[in-house]
Amino acid sequence: MISTLLEYYNQEPFRFLTAFGAILFLTLNLAAILTMSERKVAGYIQGRFGPNRVWPRGLLQPAADVVKLFTKENLSPSGSDLWIFLAAPIAMFIPAATIWLVVPFAPGLVIADLNIAILFFISITSIGALGVIMAGYGSRSNFSLLGALRGAGQLISYEVPLILSLLGIAILTGSLSLVDVVDAQAGGFWNWYIWFQLPMFVAFYVAGIAEVKRIPFDLPEGESEIVGGFMVEYSGMTWALIQASEFALMGLMSAIGATLFFGGWQPPLAFLDLGTFNWIWFGLKTSLLMFTFLWIRWTLPRLRMDQLMDLGWKVLVPLTILWLFVTAGAVLAFPSFFG
Amino acid sequence: MLESERVVESAALGGRATGRLTNPYVRDEFGLETMDLNVGPQHPAMHGLLRLIVELDGETIVRCDPVMGYLHRCQEKIAENRMYPAVIPLTDRLDYFANMHMEHGYCLAVEDLMGLEIPPRADAIRVLMCELMRLASHLPSIGFLMLELGAFTPILYAFRERERIQTIFEAVTGARMMFHYIRIGGVKADLPEDIPQKIWDYVESLEANLDRDFVDLIQGNEIFITRTRGVGKVTQEEAVEMGLTGPPLRSTGVDFDVRLDYPYSWYPNVTFDVITDTQGDAEAAYRVRVGEIRQSIRIVKQVLENLPEGAVMGDVPRRIRPAEGEGFGRVESPRGEFAVHVVSDGSDIPYRVHYRDPSFVNMQFLQEIVPGHYLPDVMPIMGIVDPVSGGWDK
Amino acid sequence: MAVTLPQDAVEDRVERYLEGFHSRHGLDEAEVEGNVVRLVIEPHILPAVLTTARESLKIMHLSYITVVDREGSFELTYELLDLRGVSVRVKTTLVGEEPVIDSVTGIYPTANWHEREAYDMFGVAFKGHPDLRRVYMWQDHFDHHPLLKSFEISTKRTFEGLR
Repeated sequence: MISTLLEYYNQEPFRFLTAFGAILFLTLNLAAILTMSERKVAGYIQGRFGPNRVWPRGLLQPAADVVKLFTKENLSPSGSDLWIFLAAPIAMFIPAATIWLVVPFAPGLVIADLNIAILFFISITSIGALGVIMAGYGSRSNFSLLGALRGAGQLISYEVPLILSLLGIAILTGSLSLVDVVDAQAGGFWNWYIWFQLPMFVAFYVAGIAEVKRIPFDLPEGESEIVGGFMVEYSGMTWALIQASEFALMGLMSAIGATLFFGGWQPPLAFLDLGTFNWIWFGLKTSLLMFTFLWIRWTLPRLRMDQLMDLGWKVLVPLTILWLFVTAGAVLAFPSFFG
Repeated sequence: MLESERVVESAALGGRATGRLTNPYVRDEFGLETMDLNVGPQHPAMHGLLRLIVELDGETIVRCDPVMGYLHRCQEKIAENRMYPAVIPLTDRLDYFANMHMEHGYCLAVEDLMGLEIPPRADAIRVLMCELMRLASHLPSIGFLMLELGAFTPILYAFRERERIQTIFEAVTGARMMFHYIRIGGVKADLPEDIPQKIWDYVESLEANLDRDFVDLIQGNEIFITRTRGVGKVTQEEAVEMGLTGPPLRSTGVDFDVRLDYPYSWYPNVTFDVITDTQGDAEAAYRVRVGEIRQSIRIVKQVLENLPEGAVMGDVPRRIRPAEGEGFGRVESPRGEFAVHVVSDGSDIPYRVHYRDPSFVNMQFLQEIVPGHYLPDVMPIMGIVDPVSGGWDK
Repeated sequence: MAVTLPQDAVEDRVERYLEGFHSRHGLDEAEVEGNVVRLVIEPHILPAVLTTARESLKIMHLSYITVVDREGSFELTYELLDLRGVSVRVKTTLVGEEPVIDSVTGIYPTANWHEREAYDMFGVAFKGHPDLRRVYMWQDHFDHHPLLKSFEISTKRTFEGLR
C-alpha cells in the first residue's frame, strides 16, 4: 500500500511540486537563519552580544523579523515603473532558488542530476544582474540609478573570473555534472580539489563575494554614500525578498564552493562516511564558508568602483587563465596522476 | 535699490560654488547632462545634518556645494541674552565631540576680558580634561572614517573606549557629555580622590589597546590604503590659503598647533610633539590623528604626575560684570583652531559673542577639493576634515 | 609648495609688523599689546592693509571676521595669525545702516565663508565676493538678518511672522 503510494507520488507533477516546495523551504529558511547568524557574528566580532532577547539567546530573531516585515507597508515611489519595480525582487530571487536544484546534498540526494550542472549554475547566476538593474531603474531615484549602474558593471565583470575558475575543475573531472565532481573527490581530504586548484578557489571565492554584493564589494548598495543603492526605495516584503535572495545566493555560493573545491558531501576521512547522512558533512563545509563570508563582511572596508573593476579584470582574470593553462598542462603531462 | 542689495545681487548671480573644475558643462553634441544628487540632510553616514549638493558626471563629481544650517541654533544670538556664566552650557553644545575645548575657549575669552588669574591647579585640571576630550574625539573620528569606508567594527571599538572616558568624565563632572565643568575663573569642583589613579590606569590600557584594536587592523589594510592614499591631496600653500587648521593642516606638513604657538593655560608646562605628515591626503590625516592620540596620552601622564595643589577656582566676583572691552580666547580643539571673541558693554550680559569654529572653516576645503574625485571619495575627504555639525552650524 | 613660518623672536616680529603697516598706510590707531598688533583703519584701505599683511609681511592665516552691531555703525574685526605666536587685529567701522565693504576673498580665500556668515547674520555686503549667499538661514523668502540688534528674540514670534 505504502509502496504503491510512494510510486504514484514519484512521478511528475508531484516530484516537481515536492522539489519546488523543498527548494523554497530551504532557501527561505536559509535566508532567515543567515540574517540572525549575521547579526550574532557581527555582535561577537564587535565585542557585544547580537540580538539576544527573542528566546532563547536570540535564536528566534528571524521569526520576529519575518513578522515585522509582513506587517510593513510595501511602498513604491510615485512615478516608478511599477511592473519593473515589483518584478525585480523576483528576478533576484530566482537564481538564488533555482540553482539549489543541482546541488548534491548526499549520495543520491540531488533533485536534478543534470549532466551540465556547472553550465546551469553559471547561466542562471547571470540573471541576478538583470534583477539589480531592474530594481535600480524601476525605482526612479538618482541613488537607485547609481546603485544599479554600479551593480551592473560589478556583477557582469565578476562573472568572468567566476566562470574561468570552474574550468579547471571541469578539466580535472572530465564532466560538467556536480555529482561527478563530488564523486571524483572521494577517498579522503587529500583528494579534494582545493589543494591543486587553490588559485582557482581564491578567484571563485572573491568573485563569489562580488556576485553576492557583500563587503568588500557592496558598492551597489553602498550604505555610506548612496544609502541603499538599488534597493533604497524598497520596504516591507519586497525588501525582505531582496534580502532573502542576497542571503540565499550567499548560501548558494558557499554550497557550490564546498561542492566543487571541498568535496561536497565527502567525509574528510573514509571511515567517517555516514551514508545518506553525509549531508551533515556538506552542511558543515557550507556553514564554514558562510561564516567566512560573514567574517569578512564585518572586518574589511569596501572598495571603490574603479578599484573593484581593477581587481576583477586585472588580477582575477589573468590568475584564472594562467592556472587554467597550468591545470591543462598538468593533466596532459601526468595523465595517470590527474586522471 | 540699496547699494548693499545691489552688491549682494551681483555677487549671488555670478556665484556658483567654486571648485577645481570650471563651470559644470553640458556636452551638447551628445546631449549628455550632469546629474544633481542630494547627499541629503537625512543620511546615515554624513557627519551630522549636512546637505551636499553634488553634481555628477558619471561617477566623477563636477561640483560640490555644502548647504548648512540644519542644526543652526542661533547660539550667538542667545548668548546676547544670557549672563556670562550661563553661556557656558551653550558652548558645550557647539562642537559636542569637544565640549571641554569649547568651554575652555569661552572661559579664556571672558578671563581675558576681565583680567582674571587662574590658579595653577585649575589650569592643570583644565588641560587634563581637554586632553582626555581630545582622546574621546579622535577615536570616534577614526571610527567614523572607517564606518564610511564600509568597515563597521572600528567604530564600535572606538565608542567602547569613548564610553570608558565618559565614565571618567561622569565621575569628575557629573555628566557624560554636556559637562558645564570649566567655569569662569577655574573649574567647578576638584577631582575626586581616586580619579587620578583611574585616569592613569585607563590611559595605560588605551596605550596598549591602541595598536591591537586600531592601528594593526587599519593602517596596513590594503583596502584602506587604496581608498585613502592620494584622496583629497592638498599642498601646504593651498591648505593655509583655505584656512585649514588642526589635523588637516598638520597632515600637509605645516606644524601649526595653538597649544605651542599661542600657548595658553597649563600647556607651557608640558612637553609633547606636534605630529605632522607630508602626504596631505586622507591617509596622512588618519596617521596624524593616531599620533595625536599618543601625544595626548603623554600629556595626560605628565599632568597627572605634576598636578599642583591648591584651589580650583580663582578670585572671581560673585556677579560677573566686566568693564567695557573685548576678550579673545583661542584653543586647539581636536578639529583645529577654536577662537572666541567676546565684546562687553559693561553689563552682566555679553554684547556680542563670536565663535570661530574649525568645522565651519574647514568645510570650505570640501567645496574646493571634492570636484574631480569620485563619489565614494567624498567620505575619506570628510574624514580628513572630520566636521561636527554642532560646530559648523553653531 | 612648502610654507615657511617665521623664525625670529616674537618681540622683533611684532615691531617689524607694526613698522610694515605704518610705513605703507595711514592708520588711525596702531599699537602693540603683548603679542598682538592692533590696528584701527578706515574701511576703504582695508584691502590694501590686508594685501600688505599677506604679501609683504607673510602673515598667512585669517582666523576670523567678527561683526559687531553698534546700532548705528558696524565694527568689523579681522584677526590675522602668522602661525607662530603673533596676531594682528585689524578693526574698521562702517557707519550707517548700509554696510558695504570690499571683499578680501582675493587676498585671503578663507574669508569666503566668513564673509558669507557676516552677510547672513548682519547684512554686510561684500563687494567682489564670488558667491555671496546665505550660509545658515533660508536662502529664499527670508529677508531678515538675525544678529542685528533690531531683530528681537521674542517668544511670541511665530514662524509665520518670519517667512
